[in-house]
Amino acid sequence: MAQVLQFRGGPAPAVPDAQAIPVAQAMPDAQAVPAVPAVPEAPFGELHDLWFQVTGLRCNLACTHCLVNSGPDNLSLASLTVAEVEAALAAAVVLGVKAVYFTGGEPFLHRDLMVMLAAALAVAPATVLTNGTLIDEAVADRLAALAAASRYSLEIRLSLDDVDAARNDAIRGPGVLERVARAAVLLDRRGLIPILTATEAMELAPGKAPAPAQRAVPPLLYTRFRDFLLGLGITRPRVKIMPLFKIGRLAGSASHPVLTPEMLAGFDRALLQCHTARVVAAGGIYACPILAGDPAARVAGRLADALRPVPLGHPACHTCYVTGMSCANA
Amino acid sequence: MPELVHPGLALDPAAMSAREAMEPVGLRRIAVLGGIYSNHRALAAALADAHAAEAEAIYCLGDVGGFGPHPDRVFPLLSGAGVRVVQGNYDEAIGTGRDDCGCGYADPRDNFFAQISYDYTHRNTAPEHRAFLAGLPAYRRLKLGSFAVHLCHGSPRRVNEFLWETATPDALLERLCDRYACDALLVTHTGIKWQRRLPSGRLAVNVGAVGRPENDGTKRVWYALLAAGRAEISVEFRPVEYDWSALASEMEEEGLPAEFVTTIRTGWWTTCLEVLPAKERARGRF
Repeated sequence: MAQVLQFRGGPAPAVPDAQAIPVAQAMPDAQAVPAVPAVPEAPFGELHDLWFQVTGLRCNLACTHCLVNSGPDNLSLASLTVAEVEAALAAAVVLGVKAVYFTGGEPFLHRDLMVMLAAALAVAPATVLTNGTLIDEAVADRLAALAAASRYSLEIRLSLDDVDAARNDAIRGPGVLERVARAAVLLDRRGLIPILTATEAMELAPGKAPAPAQRAVPPLLYTRFRDFLLGLGITRPRVKIMPLFKIGRLAGSASHPVLTPEMLAGFDRALLQCHTARVVAAGGIYACPILAGDPAARVAGRLADALRPVPLGHPACHTCYVTGMSCANA
Repeated sequence: MPELVHPGLALDPAAMSAREAMEPVGLRRIAVLGGIYSNHRALAAALADAHAAEAEAIYCLGDVGGFGPHPDRVFPLLSGAGVRVVQGNYDEAIGTGRDDCGCGYADPRDNFFAQISYDYTHRNTAPEHRAFLAGLPAYRRLKLGSFAVHLCHGSPRRVNEFLWETATPDALLERLCDRYACDALLVTHTGIKWQRRLPSGRLAVNVGAVGRPENDGTKRVWYALLAAGRAEISVEFRPVEYDWSALASEMEEEGLPAEFVTTIRTGWWTTCLEVLPAKERARGRF
């Protein structure tokens, strides 16, 4: 995984990254060097959400802001097998899992995704996070059949960045907006009302809902996506806005804050997604969907052993803290 | 959005037994109402129906206020009928003066309308009624016939957790019944009723809501009537017809959003939609 940023609290990186070394550590005066703060942890509550990184980081697109550096050539994280998914599902059911998510990379690149989805929908509601470009009539038909056969809901989340083709496709690739719009209509016509997912830079008070003033008017981006869906004839528009993570291809060279125990004083760590979620990816169980494959974020080899506190040492943890975000549907 | 967690999750059997001792004994037939949302007209009609159905006790699973007009009007109805109320997230928020309802919405449009509703309700709830709401128990436990019943608002583990029919696995419900040592688990919070007999034979019921139609294009609302048989509890969802037109007029006079009034007049939800799972959302118009 080509993460630029370092994860504090996990195994030491083989090659230290200068960006991750606190400036104070390089100061000559030992007395002036504060102790490196302890890495805070997120306790584990109970398993609500189980995620599968089914295609590793392989994707048919290479979005300029991808927070996990997915792309056609990123084969750094292997795909999961049906057997691996079924084994984790069986373990999760015992733990009372509430929802199952499939992500990647691009999940629809996995030839067995439908089999995996059927297994999930036999025991829990399931969601697929997709760029939507591989959903054609046949795929939409198969998804509709899976949904009809289950008592649980099947959710399809389509990622977009803008309703303007030029702006969206500059990030996602030529023709993507048109293909996603078609996928949205195909799904909607079959009763699978898609959730359009977009990212937006946001900063809220840690652990707090948006202040009343911020709620006074629905945000512009949200409204634009909602109107876009309505314009496609989708009369029940569903939009999820997520914060922009300055990691992956957006990491850049700026320094990135990481959480300290002081920041978390008085903060309810049960608000963090990793309090109730775990991710199955090649190589084991991880704490967070966007850190799957990062050795430092690996919690255990199997789900039953992964129900323990995890370090909050990655800059992504800081983003969750300041935005209150969750990758889950609601 | 901060999660509202029930204080002292009732893992202590002694605590749960103590709760049961606080409820009437010998119950075999009870009425259970979900969110009232200030709909005093539907509440009055539901209470009349519960009495006609010979319910021995009437319970409400919380969210007394919100959405509707004149929040103070429901309290005399509740006390007059001896309704035993569980605290919902809205009750906790109004009772303790929180900034928002804690409904658990993540969607900005939902939060926009939820805030209008919350501010109106908070502003129009008398101090003595706020104190009543603040003092409500987070859950109740009773014996219905020989069956242990756990009554709460969202879920036993979190007051604002949504337990939708198509988004709540059997295995999770079995786990909750195990942990909270009950034969029947009764919840509300979502506003849409459902019931499920679990593989173990235990029962999970979302009693729906009295305060708002359930997004099916009809104006009626619903509550649940539960009766203990020898082998199991039976559940009857009872429809409640009420003067929705008068309620809608009151809402307009109070300056509540037209979107809320449309829901009362049409039976279709227009707000707080994004928390709906795909299947529930597909059944609605918006």
